[in-house]
Amino acid sequence: MRRSPLFHAVMIPFTLLWLAPIVFVVLVALREFDDIAARGLGAFPASLTLEGFATALAGGKLATALVNSAVVTVCTVVASLALAAIAAYALSRYRIPARRTILLVMLAGNLLPAQILLIPVSRIAQGIGIYDTLFALVVVQVGFGLGFYTFVLHGFMRALPSEVFEAALLDGSGPGRTFFSIVLPLCRPALAALAALATTWVYNDLIWAMTVLQTDTKFPITAALLNLQGGYSNSWNVIAAGSLVAAVPTAIVFFVFQRHFVSGLLVGTGK
Amino acid sequence: MAATELSRRRFLLGAASLGSVPLLASCVGSGVGESGGGQASATITLQSSIQDTAPKAALEEIVAAYTGPGSPVTLNSVATEQFRAQLSTYLSSAEPPDVLTWYAGSVANSYAAEGLLMDLTDLWTGDGACAGFSDALRSLSTSADGKAIFVPTNYYWWSVFYKKSAFQQWGVEPPTTWEEFISLCERLKARGIHPLTNGIGSTAWMSAGWFDYLNLRINGADYHRALLAGQRSFTDPEVVAVLEEYRRLLPYFHPNQFSWDAQQAVTPMVNNEAAMYLVGAFVTQYFPEDQRDDLDFFSVPPINPGVPSAEEAPTDGYFAAAGSDNPEGAKALLNYLASPQAQQEFITKSGSSNLPTSPDVDTSGFSPLVQKGIELLNSTQEITQFFNRDSSDALQTTADAALTRFIADPGDIPAHLRDWQAAAEQVFAS
Amino acid sequence: MTAVQDAPVRAAVPPRQRRRRRGVPPLVWAFLLLPLAVELFWVFWPAMNSFSLSFTSWNGVGAARPVGFENYQRLFTDPIFLTALGNNVIWAIGFGGLSVAGGLALAVALNRPGRGVGLYRSAIYLPMVISLAVTGLFWRVMYQPGGPIDVGLGAIGLGELQQQWLANPDTALYAVLIAAVWRQVGYIMVLYLAGLKGRDPSLEEAAAVDGANAWQRFWKVVMPQLRGVNTVVFAVTVIDSLRTFDIVWAMTRGGPYNTTQLLSTYMYQQGFTLVNLGYGSAIAVVIFLLALAFIITYLVRQARAEEL
Repeated sequence: MRRSPLFHAVMIPFTLLWLAPIVFVVLVALREFDDIAARGLGAFPASLTLEGFATALAGGKLATALVNSAVVTVCTVVASLALAAIAAYALSRYRIPARRTILLVMLAGNLLPAQILLIPVSRIAQGIGIYDTLFALVVVQVGFGLGFYTFVLHGFMRALPSEVFEAALLDGSGPGRTFFSIVLPLCRPALAALAALATTWVYNDLIWAMTVLQTDTKFPITAALLNLQGGYSNSWNVIAAGSLVAAVPTAIVFFVFQRHFVSGLLVGTGK
Repeated sequence: MAATELSRRRFLLGAASLGSVPLLASCVGSGVGESGGGQASATITLQSSIQDTAPKAALEEIVAAYTGPGSPVTLNSVATEQFRAQLSTYLSSAEPPDVLTWYAGSVANSYAAEGLLMDLTDLWTGDGACAGFSDALRSLSTSADGKAIFVPTNYYWWSVFYKKSAFQQWGVEPPTTWEEFISLCERLKARGIHPLTNGIGSTAWMSAGWFDYLNLRINGADYHRALLAGQRSFTDPEVVAVLEEYRRLLPYFHPNQFSWDAQQAVTPMVNNEAAMYLVGAFVTQYFPEDQRDDLDFFSVPPINPGVPSAEEAPTDGYFAAAGSDNPEGAKALLNYLASPQAQQEFITKSGSSNLPTSPDVDTSGFSPLVQKGIELLNSTQEITQFFNRDSSDALQTTADAALTRFIADPGDIPAHLRDWQAAAEQVFAS
Repeated sequence: MTAVQDAPVRAAVPPRQRRRRRGVPPLVWAFLLLPLAVELFWVFWPAMNSFSLSFTSWNGVGAARPVGFENYQRLFTDPIFLTALGNNVIWAIGFGGLSVAGGLALAVALNRPGRGVGLYRSAIYLPMVISLAVTGLFWRVMYQPGGPIDVGLGAIGLGELQQQWLANPDTALYAVLIAAVWRQVGYIMVLYLAGLKGRDPSLEEAAAVDGANAWQRFWKVVMPQLRGVNTVVFAVTVIDSLRTFDIVWAMTRGGPYNTTQLLSTYMYQQGFTLVNLGYGSAIAVVIFLLALAFIITYLVRQARAEEL
């Protein structure tokens, strides 16, 4: 692993170019509406101001939306990973009939375009009385993501060495205790990685929120951001500011989980 | 646990579940148990698609000041596109929002045909707020079976907007005939100014503005309405004439119109690089504050002398869900929103160039631009809405595709019209 | 890795335990059935409804009108659908290919220690924290005439390439593709970084001693070890390319005049803008079948390879 100057000479401009769009969003967020209207979006800011952020936070109900997003994301990620872990455990370490088919079927559920499910899900939610609740949003997203997480955890658990399970069996440990005290800790890297991914997916979701929610105080941040866009006119600086505010939590989650990310998503890679 | 026993059990289970699938599968879409209210509630929900900052804030204030039956009102704002996608869900849910914002015209009428809208005839008779509204508004708000289902509260007009100071600087006057308009465009073009601007990128429906007006000026409002209702064909020679005139105008448009939306099209006007914009009065919101008073407009000049005058004036307002659990409160709220005081307040506070529908609103305090707009609409013989509101959103998408393709490649007009007619027939057939 | 579960056990375990092992404990059945029930109720039941909706014509209110296979017949003569299908192939190859190639290349390049390298990795991943809709929105602004991209091209002397990227049917889809790949590459890179961490360096050293060059070492020694990650990446890429919606919708709405429609955007337009729910559901069924075909063939091949 040579640390050559050539490497940095290539990577630095590449990275700066890579980040250019994000820098652009930041610049737009710091401009005034009149400046944008007069000189267009492509121009460099004539002056810097925080008016975009102020308007976004005040008028856009962003604070409530962020709280809603946090609640929904945390509940969904925890519930989906818990359910996926137990399903993966059952499918990977026990001789369940047709287990491979069941796994494929569960994954297939994730292949469905969300749009195909929207109308039926909203009607079903209404039918069982949970329409326009955050609970419905959580449950729907749990169901929708389950297949993929199960698939990944299944591969991971399959690769765990069988000696560990034999030792547990000789100890007289039942499936429940084996799961909690042995399998789960071993899966921590994969769970952390999936948690970070799942957080991004659930947090950035828009269509499920729009489908099962009606009251705008229950909207998560993505839907609230949409409300910042005018019907006829766009305050680009407000939208940019709002988008940056919305991106902060996922950025934080990524940086916190990064260690686990990079160290573990070993799906049966010949260990 | 014999293997055969297990597989037989599984087979039976599988067969049973497969059999029940069609039954379960058709639950959604069977139309059963989807309407019907819960018990009467004390509050009202107003579902709003009004997104622009100032109008939204104005609505919030007005709704907060309402103290009649059903208050306090819960106001939910949803982005317009999502609102449109969810509207049928809202209206057919077991607990629909009581009152909803929307537009007059075909969409409202199609929901009325399904029985999803509350009968609001009370508000149009006696001392209801809408009783004094014009006949045109009344017929616009009435569904096919004669019931009033819509409450219009404001509308705006379309015209060719320009900046007075810019015209002065160039030494030109607003035209009164079509030939004057064309020669004005020629003169401006010769000076290096883009005579016309438009934004047909992500707001492709803006291309229908000129189409509508050219159709109204060349063929008249009756033909236009019939065309949009599917009673004429897009391959008619009348429509060919419209597109030929449109083609004549194409060199005068700013070349960047393909990438802009309606709002960005204003930028060259701000800098005096472009002169005129056929657009709705909402355009005033796009300009920087210090230029708004500089705006003025003139009506698209007549092209065929025998054709009655016509203008486009899309109308916005509210309707109520038939499944609402507080019909009395809903009607009272609608009455309040349609009242002259509420209309006046909304228009003043929203700062947009909208016109009130109530004849009892004191318009003397409005800006000169708005007053000129009122006069324009009062003196015209025919009023249409806009392409999509007179026909349907589905037909609008065919217009978007056909017109933007035509503008990019205006050579073969009959071919474009043939494709448009084919797409339109699909829409009318479904 | 592919050891069959009970092979080593049979030799060592007494008969009584062996019989218990053959049966699956009820708790484990519960472990499986609870998640399966959730998925069945919230995903498969609505999907069944959508499948049956695709045989109807419905505008969201009242009862759906059954029309048999009419929607599907209409699909195959619908020029917009066929354009969308073609675009999806381009998208799968372009978006899928570029993000995987880019992600893999960056993972290999950045799989080295150093504080600076961590910064590069974070920078490449950063686009993922911004939602797709916002990404689309701002890239649309960037592609505007006179916007940052045109200005940038002018600054480096490529001025004659300036054009209305999103309004030109020849360039629009590729312009959107670049934005989508920009966002996706960080994600694939992270998956490959994780996979690379799990490889065995001694195998590469052995290969180097045997005289293999870097390229051969990579393809013959490293890539096979990444087989598990490749499965995940493949699944993710297929799912994401067929599901791509937000970014295309935000940037072009499927325009100009339907030339950048993908199956998902056309489905959304039919199902939600125009509320032709029957027709929209038919398009959705097509998307599903395509995805299923890809995944099943690949996974079946994988599973068979594993059993050898």
